[in-house]
Amino acid sequence: MIVRVAAFLLACAIPGTALAQDAGHGTHDMTAPDGQTAPGDERPKRMAAPKDARAYIIWPSNGTVINGGKFWVRMGLQNYGVAPAGVRREGTGHHHLIIDSELPPLDEPIPNDRNHLHFGGGQTEARVELPPGQHTLQMLLGDADHVPHDPPVTSSKITITVR
Amino acid sequence: MRSSALVAAVAAGFVSVFVALAPGAAPADDRHPAPKDAYAYIGWPNDGEVVTGRFKVWLGLRNFGVAPSGVDKPNTGHHHLLIDVGVPPLDEPIPNDRNHVHLGAGQTETYLELPPGRHTLQLLMGDADHVPHDPPVTSKKITITVR
Repeated sequence: MIVRVAAFLLACAIPGTALAQDAGHGTHDMTAPDGQTAPGDERPKRMAAPKDARAYIIWPSNGTVINGGKFWVRMGLQNYGVAPAGVRREGTGHHHLIIDSELPPLDEPIPNDRNHLHFGGGQTEARVELPPGQHTLQMLLGDADHVPHDPPVTSSKITITVR
Repeated sequence: MRSSALVAAVAAGFVSVFVALAPGAAPADDRHPAPKDAYAYIGWPNDGEVVTGRFKVWLGLRNFGVAPSGVDKPNTGHHHLLIDVGVPPLDEPIPNDRNHVHLGAGQTETYLELPPGRHTLQLLMGDADHVPHDPPVTSKKITITVR
């Protein structure tokens, strides 16, 4: 009986220790990106970005004519890094693709609608489908809370035609 | 007396079983899953390209996301550029040396300067701890010539 109890206790105790270590490991991973909290600030503070950080649309290029209307947009980023939404880390942000619209206000979160596509999973490509006609595309990086950086990390606005 | 000796023996047996299992099982369980359609690709240079001096490398990624190293989010990772080397063991962190360039800040492009001659380039995504995903998110290996 004593033997059984001891064995049972051991069997419980050892995996328990392993679980505790796993949990600790996971916690450690999560604290790194989310280290910063917003103490008392109602508006999210705009994250600083270096002046040489620049987004650009790798493809399509300005003036491209696309047959069909379904295409991949390749999003490029110079002197800066990509991180998923929710991850607050210096020198990073996530892509937003602005379609047929001007840049939104820079001191609030980028809207989330059909004219403002969010790539909060850290994606660097976007599958887009647009109706025939002329369209504009522009990229704008957002921080962990979807707020543009200061200065904003953005691309030039390009015009494409869908046939 | 006899029962305490048995307890000790059983305890020793359990401990040795767990000690034996733990190190072997950990790396395999730790590999983050990736969707089967996720892949990396080198957007530039093209396979067979001839480049001069310092050149840009576009790190392409489809059906997957980029996150800096240390960030543990499903379906993300960070790029590693393998230069003149094969794919390293997939169940341990990718080495960090001149043949395995880590882009741990979430970069999606980088510049390289390589000595004249033929070189191979390949991308391999690593998770928060630089371990490849399961299945690995990797690109084709391309060959370029530096003049």
